Amino acid sequence: MAAIARSTGPDGGAGAPLPRRAGAALRMAVRRGDILRWLGGIGAVIPLLALGFILVALLIEAIPAFRLNGLGFFDKSIWQLGAGYNSTIVSTDGVKHLSGSSFGAVPEIVGTLISSAIALIVGVPISIGAALAIVERLPRRVANGVGIFLELLAGIPSVIVGLWGALTFGPFIARDITPVIARNMPDVPVLNYFRGSPGNGEGLLTSGLVLAVMIIPIVAATSRDLIRQVPILPREGAIALGMSDAQTARKVTLPWVSSGIVGAVVLGLGRALGETMAVAMCCGVALNAVPGNIYATMTTISATILTQLDSAFTDGTGFAVKSIAELAFVLMVITLAVNVAARLLVKRVSGTALPVGRGV
Amino acid sequence: MVGAALPTSPSKTPETVTETGSTLLYPLMGTWTEAYQKAFATSAGAPYVTIETGGTGSGTGISDAANGTVDIGASDAYLSSSDMASYPNLMNIAVAISAQQINYNLPTVKKPLKLDGTVLAEMYSGKITKWNDPAIAALNPGVSLPAIPVVPLHRADGSGDTFLFTSYLNAQDSSAWSSSNVGTTVNWPSVSGALAEEGNGGMVSGCAATKGCIAYIGISYESKTQAAGLGQAVLKNGAGQFEAPTSATISAEASALTGKTPASETLSMIDANVSGGYPIINYEYAIVSKKQTNGTVAEDMRAFLYWAVHTGQSGTDYLDAVNFEPLPAAVVTLTDNQIAKIGS
Repeated sequence: MAAIARSTGPDGGAGAPLPRRAGAALRMAVRRGDILRWLGGIGAVIPLLALGFILVALLIEAIPAFRLNGLGFFDKSIWQLGAGYNSTIVSTDGVKHLSGSSFGAVPEIVGTLISSAIALIVGVPISIGAALAIVERLPRRVANGVGIFLELLAGIPSVIVGLWGALTFGPFIARDITPVIARNMPDVPVLNYFRGSPGNGEGLLTSGLVLAVMIIPIVAATSRDLIRQVPILPREGAIALGMSDAQTARKVTLPWVSSGIVGAVVLGLGRALGETMAVAMCCGVALNAVPGNIYATMTTISATILTQLDSAFTDGTGFAVKSIAELAFVLMVITLAVNVAARLLVKRVSGTALPVGRGV
Repeated sequence: MVGAALPTSPSKTPETVTETGSTLLYPLMGTWTEAYQKAFATSAGAPYVTIETGGTGSGTGISDAANGTVDIGASDAYLSSSDMASYPNLMNIAVAISAQQINYNLPTVKKPLKLDGTVLAEMYSGKITKWNDPAIAALNPGVSLPAIPVVPLHRADGSGDTFLFTSYLNAQDSSAWSSSNVGTTVNWPSVSGALAEEGNGGMVSGCAATKGCIAYIGISYESKTQAAGLGQAVLKNGAGQFEAPTSATISAEASALTGKTPASETLSMIDANVSGGYPIINYEYAIVSKKQTNGTVAEDMRAFLYWAVHTGQSGTDYLDAVNFEPLPAAVVTLTDNQIAKIGS
């Protein structure tokens, strides 16, 4: 509006769209930045309100579930609406639910954490390696091309990645890769999770690897931008001291931006924890069991919410939906906790991040 | 006759009737809606009533109809007793007959396999792990069964199909499959190699990709299961005979059960003792509240549902495309009686 008023003014337009005084006041306000300040203020408050609103709304929906499920939610593994389709309504502590209902979220919580952990273990080294290569090794032309591909990869809708995982990648590793590993892995702690039935391509490993594919572009693109900002002087210094490329990267480049990289990893972890569609298509949605080995079917919080909401609606008491809200709340808390922890970590790390004066 | 009191055409006030729910009923709802809007339109071609359909899942259909967010919910399963208790105004109105096929991927077996609830329950609970198991061989003398692993497929999402299938397992052999494990989502026994698939479409493609699979798939997907080269089991019915899901066996089962259908049309049609009947069939339901807030919409809903269970039962025009069967005449009367209760 102000722009219009200004542009018609010099044209000598007698019929300016705004009355003279209002136009002048508006122009004044724009010049003083009042409007910008107000818009900015509103813009700043909305995300806060949205977060608060979602948390409170979820909590209100989930409170009956918290009361009735109690701690059993975190140490039981059975997710069951009731004892069969025609179970009766019973009331415990004033909360109505179906007889025989049981809501335990251990497989969901464990599945969410483990699949995200696999994604990080596989995805982060690849991402940082790719970022270092793009910045330091590849010719500029090639690096730009790779960078564009990374960004394109980040933009692939998750349902397409999920389809690839469920139809192509999962069956491929189940046929050609996991049987070999499962047969030959020694039966010692930790490694014995790689033994046993190689599964059929739906499960923990497929989900974790698909998640890795989804977080690599995020972590790699962010790390690349960070590494680009490392000044050339300390790196040249390191090389002058006779360090190899790998040593330079490990002792100079990465420590320089370590807090930023932690941030990038957390960004990826946030994506992995909450990713729904791709995991729901690849995980096998095994609601009632913690995966026995790394190939077994599993489920995550978000995949369970997606696939079980329709069933939950058949519970006339609404308690199943409330339990799903409790699941959602737990996921929200996990995600927020990860973010807060990352912030604390970044603070600690960034204090000593600069290698300068630390005797590289 | 009660049916005569029902409106045979929508009100002339333009209104929108919304429908959502069962993905199995969704294609039929779509063709019904299109034909209905064409049949009752102004001379300029504008329909008197617009019907918006959606395929979201039976549970959503029930819940949305209960909360009044849609006018008609579609469900493969009748209302559970808890739904009835919580929403006393809801009715399940039968609009067509559907069935469920049991499919398998065994390219070497050409003749349809005979299966029963006990064998299926043991396949889904991991007691039968190979296709050449003596229990399967006993049902199929003379058939050479491959020694490959059984891969049970089940639905990852909550589904009316899961309800029908687990109902059959429990009805045939309650010791092999407990009644507490009957529902739209069940506690599947942990079976090595078992696969979970999204939707009937996922079941078809998943089974086609997996040799040795066994799957339960809605009859409306029959052309797709055939195109995928999947076998279709002949199932043991409540009378001890083995029947394939054909128009004749489904209709035989349905007409034998008309007498048992109560006024509320809430009836499990699974595994009835009917000679020559297919054992997994069900009414497809429109879930509707008796109390509508808008009288015109209520009238439009009565008119549409009345049309659907009369004109809309034509096989060649509507039902054959999804392999559904028409309601027997006695059930149409029950449905008409329920439709007449939709008021404001």
